[in-house]
Amino acid sequence: MSTLVFPNDQFLPLVIEELQSAPGRTVTLPLYGYSMRPFLENGRDKGLLIAATDVKVGDAVLAEVGKDCYVLHRIVRIDSDRVTLRGDGNLACEYCLLKDIKAKALGFFRKGRTTLDRTDGLKWRVYSWWWMRLYPLRRYLLFLLYPHIPARFKKKQ
Amino acid sequence: MKQKEGFRLRTVCGEHIIVAEGLANIDFSSIISLNDSAAFLWEKALGQTFTEENLTQWLLDEYEVDEPTAREDVASLVASWLQAGIVEP
Repeated sequence: MSTLVFPNDQFLPLVIEELQSAPGRTVTLPLYGYSMRPFLENGRDKGLLIAATDVKVGDAVLAEVGKDCYVLHRIVRIDSDRVTLRGDGNLACEYCLLKDIKAKALGFFRKGRTTLDRTDGLKWRVYSWWWMRLYPLRRYLLFLLYPHIPARFKKKQ
Repeated sequence: MKQKEGFRLRTVCGEHIIVAEGLANIDFSSIISLNDSAAFLWEKALGQTFTEENLTQWLLDEYEVDEPTAREDVASLVASWLQAGIVEP
């Protein structure tokens, strides 16, 4: 078995169109990237998404944060129609408008399991509660979980 | 044999893929990709029962290929479709 990789900027608009074409329809998508660590791991986990309706702070959403630039990150703040997003594994934020929030995660299939870790389930909610409150320590927690040399200490080429 | 229900061919970024498509969920983490000729045969076989014989004939009608090669290609294609579980005998 092999993996077909499609560029996000071409593939995700189709996915979003599918989601919006039939209310209640969901898609299962493999997830890539490190920005939702520690809960979600690059290439290992999948997300179950549905078209976004009434999103709130704490939701993990698929958003178009720039022209053809999509992220699946967590909403950390909503000011009327302005939304601030931040990946759980990131220190920096993205900003977009409510209309740019395209889909919402209903849950995640993690570590190859076929049972869904629902975003309204206890595990995700407990994890979220702690991880959001530990934000001031995030820099250090991420370093402990994933030891690496931070970019700012790397020698310039 | 015939195609199982719930598998639709679509073209995404120039690739022909077959996606398991329930009414409620589309699973993009498990897709089957087809080359141009396989995609052509899949479309041709849509909604009808067919045999390897039919597929070979369609292939011969559409593409410039000799019969033994077509037969061989169809046999391996059908085997992979059966293995993937997207057609039923």
